[in-house]
Amino acid sequence: MSSTAHDPAPPAATAETPLLAATGLHKTYGSTPALAGADFAIRAGETVAVMGPSGSGKSTLLHCLAGIVPPDQGTVRYNGRDLGSLSDGERSALRRADFGFVFQFGQLVPELTCEENVALPLRLTGTGRKAAAARATEWLARLEVDDVRHHRPGQISGGQGQRVAVARALVNTPRVLFADEPTGALDSLNGERVMQLLVAAARDTKAAVVLVTHESRVAAYSDREVVVRDGRARDMAGAL
Amino acid sequence: MSGGGRVSSWARELAVGARFALAGGPGWTRTLLTAAGVGLGVVVLLLAASVPHAVAERNARGDARSPASLGEEMPPGPDTVQYISNGTEYRGDSVGGMLLRPDAGADTTAEPPPGLDAFPAPGEMAVSPALGELLDSPEGELLAERFDHRRAGTIGAEGLKGPNELMYYAGAEALPEERALRTDAFGVDSVGTELPPVLVLLIVVICVVLLMPVAVFMATAVRFGGERRDQRLAALRLLGADTDMTRRIAAGEALVGALFGLVAGVGAFLALRQFLGSITVWEFSTYPGDIVPSPLLLALILVAVPVSAVVASLLALRGIAIEPLGVVRESSVPRRRLMWRLAPGVLGLLLLLPFVGSFDSGSSAEQGQVATGVVLLLAGTTVLLPWLVERVVGRLRGGPVSWQLATRRLQLSSGAAARTVSGITVAVAGAIALHMLFFGARTDQTVATGDDPDRAQIEVSRTSADGGDMSALVGRLESVPGVTDSFGSVVGDAVTETGDFTPVLVADCGTLRESAVLDSCANGDVFIANSGDVPESRLPAPGERLNLAVSWETGEAAGEPRWWTVPETAPLVESRPDASGQEHVGILATPAAIDPGLLADPWTEVLLRVDPHEADVIEHVRNVAWETSPPAQVWELESERVSDELLQVQQALLVGATGIMLLIGASMIVSMFEQLRERRRLLSALVAFGTRRGTLAASVLWQTAVPVGLGLAVAAVVGTGLGALLMSMAGLRLGGWLAFLPMAGAGAATIALVTLVSLPLLWRLMRPDGLRTE
Repeated sequence: MSSTAHDPAPPAATAETPLLAATGLHKTYGSTPALAGADFAIRAGETVAVMGPSGSGKSTLLHCLAGIVPPDQGTVRYNGRDLGSLSDGERSALRRADFGFVFQFGQLVPELTCEENVALPLRLTGTGRKAAAARATEWLARLEVDDVRHHRPGQISGGQGQRVAVARALVNTPRVLFADEPTGALDSLNGERVMQLLVAAARDTKAAVVLVTHESRVAAYSDREVVVRDGRARDMAGAL
Repeated sequence: MSGGGRVSSWARELAVGARFALAGGPGWTRTLLTAAGVGLGVVVLLLAASVPHAVAERNARGDARSPASLGEEMPPGPDTVQYISNGTEYRGDSVGGMLLRPDAGADTTAEPPPGLDAFPAPGEMAVSPALGELLDSPEGELLAERFDHRRAGTIGAEGLKGPNELMYYAGAEALPEERALRTDAFGVDSVGTELPPVLVLLIVVICVVLLMPVAVFMATAVRFGGERRDQRLAALRLLGADTDMTRRIAAGEALVGALFGLVAGVGAFLALRQFLGSITVWEFSTYPGDIVPSPLLLALILVAVPVSAVVASLLALRGIAIEPLGVVRESSVPRRRLMWRLAPGVLGLLLLLPFVGSFDSGSSAEQGQVATGVVLLLAGTTVLLPWLVERVVGRLRGGPVSWQLATRRLQLSSGAAARTVSGITVAVAGAIALHMLFFGARTDQTVATGDDPDRAQIEVSRTSADGGDMSALVGRLESVPGVTDSFGSVVGDAVTETGDFTPVLVADCGTLRESAVLDSCANGDVFIANSGDVPESRLPAPGERLNLAVSWETGEAAGEPRWWTVPETAPLVESRPDASGQEHVGILATPAAIDPGLLADPWTEVLLRVDPHEADVIEHVRNVAWETSPPAQVWELESERVSDELLQVQQALLVGATGIMLLIGASMIVSMFEQLRERRRLLSALVAFGTRRGTLAASVLWQTAVPVGLGLAVAAVVGTGLGALLMSMAGLRLGGWLAFLPMAGAGAATIALVTLVSLPLLWRLMRPDGLRTE
């Protein structure tokens, strides 16, 4: 990241100040530009849909916002802290503690049971096995998949798997949930149910949700829409 | 479906599989990986199948150049040849040689030895290409000093055992009658020398141990890229292919990879064959033309490799239900049963047990039974391992996240892990058994020489017509750079007037002190030495007359007696072994007391102390020894001597085991890379939500270490058991129980290396690129 300033003390996010904000993000893969000066901001508890055609840079924006990929230029601030000033280890710790992720294909660990998959983020932050399992069971119940908690991902349906993935993303009560095409691999009925549960659970925990999707009906669950095109993000609320 | 329809349907599906194997990108990668693995195995198999022919050809050429009338008395004639075997040694390599003199000179009708067009003329020599090259090089300068013949020819390939053999034939004007033998032809019928039972066992077990992991490796190679293939097959199911069709398509894919491997292996073998002609291992070199696989084994390899590839591929699909919608679900895999997995091992034991304490080289049928027993016992290890890994990992609970990730992965597919390490298990089990057998055999066949290398390091000895020339030889040896001290003596025999035999040793006081405890000594003194084992009545007494003209061959008086009287003052002294371990009992005399020239058939022995920092002292000493007639023998003194055959087999094992370890290590690296690539997206996702790199690295390590640890444990038990069994069969004293430690360590080091090599790829695959779906 291009930021050079190291913030002395992170100011707390308020209802008005963004929890996560990016300004002037540039990112190029080889000779292909993915982001070309994208700006983005999200407040605590807000759900923002990031939309755009294939290859427009939606996922890259999400990866930059989550500190998974460093931008070539621009700044990402979380809770007032510049992610560019953090080490790889500090960014990993941030993702473990404050962020949650849901991917298009769930990306559950195939060898672990659903309960173990959901407990994994807690185990990574040092929570004991039993406590992690109890929390995982609780979240599986909230996502209505507690009946498959001892199954492995290969033994359940895609819709169930995606709900398990949502439970895994929310189990450590993240402040920001990143969802990259969370219903992309599901039929419409399952997709609807997953979105209902995801948004409800996120609202319960007051998590901000960055929802990358190309489906309008999925975007409809959001408070606001941002469209990414040619590497630039445009806030559709401002356009209205 | 009619028979013809079924055949055409099968052919069509196999062809579809072949088409997938040749499809661009991933298809080619998988095919090339399989071909590389199978090809590597084919090379090893073809080389192994060529050993019998290479050895037979080598032995045949050795037999063809041996004088036909060895040991027979033969009158000279127009077709007879006098010869003396006149080999030497140079920097650890043997140099074979023969001095030749046709009795009819240039008019001889005798056929020269194979590899020569004509007998070398007196003063001329023919050399092997390797010897010629050595003599012309700076490295051969010292050796060249031993030959003053003019080089007039080169020995052809038909007269050499191998391309790198050091060999010469030299023509001579005259040869000493007492040493020369006579023959009328070259070439003897092959006389098979029977190897000791322990060596037969060692060779049988080495062959099994070295080849079994190759088979395991090849079975693993045809499964490379299996998961990606399963995804392709799932797509075909969506298009209407049934389960049997997908299996046949998979078989077609594996078949193409195996055939490519077969072609690549044969090509690599042919290329390697040329290269092998230029290397020498333990003085064993072979002509590329000799490396020809036995036709039966070749046919077996050509058929068995593709068939095994198809069978292994189909077995890999067992327990996997490939369903449409791109989903490959694990169907319920039947729990592994112990009973049949014990069967091969038990059968192997039953085949070996009858030979306990009674194996004596045996017939080829008995050797076959032993080989089969060993194969079954080791194969039993590979079939037992998946059961053991499944049972043990099934019980693993708790632990940190890395441990959980690894054990869960193993619980889900323990078979793949067990397969990967089964090769190393067989190799380690076999190596442990062999190590124990070596321990026993070395203990059994290692001869304590009695040499004391601290007192002297080189021994030079020769028979001589005149014991008086000993001092001249000592003088020349002392002038060799690096020789710091010398102890020269002349040994002969004497008989008393009553016919009792007694040895006589003549040397200066310094040398006599090496052979007996002397209070004082001056030139002119004589001592009667006894070790305490010989009754004094058998020793010559002071004042007794001895006849020094005794034949060495008969031990009796020969020719005109040469009387000598033991001085009245000769004291009885205690003898002690000299540096070469010889103990001299009888008369010890200084040169002023007995003229060494009086001894008939004397034996000259010179022990040398040398500066260990001086290079090539022994070669300089050999050069001096070579000038004497007959040439003196030169030995390095060593406290114990291991059977040469045993040493060679042990060295062969080391080279083979290293190669197999590398092969297995390579296969494990490929498997690990493949597994990591297949999990690329999952690894990226794990990193996305904050999983530490160390956690994933540790999980990779555990995932390898757990099955390998179990594999090594099985190998230690089976190997030690097999070792004990083989030692009992060979009648050796049991021992070497800790032989598994270094082998287990080597196996563990291989695993550590595999994990380390895998880490860079792991780091790379943990990048977020794996999350990209567009």
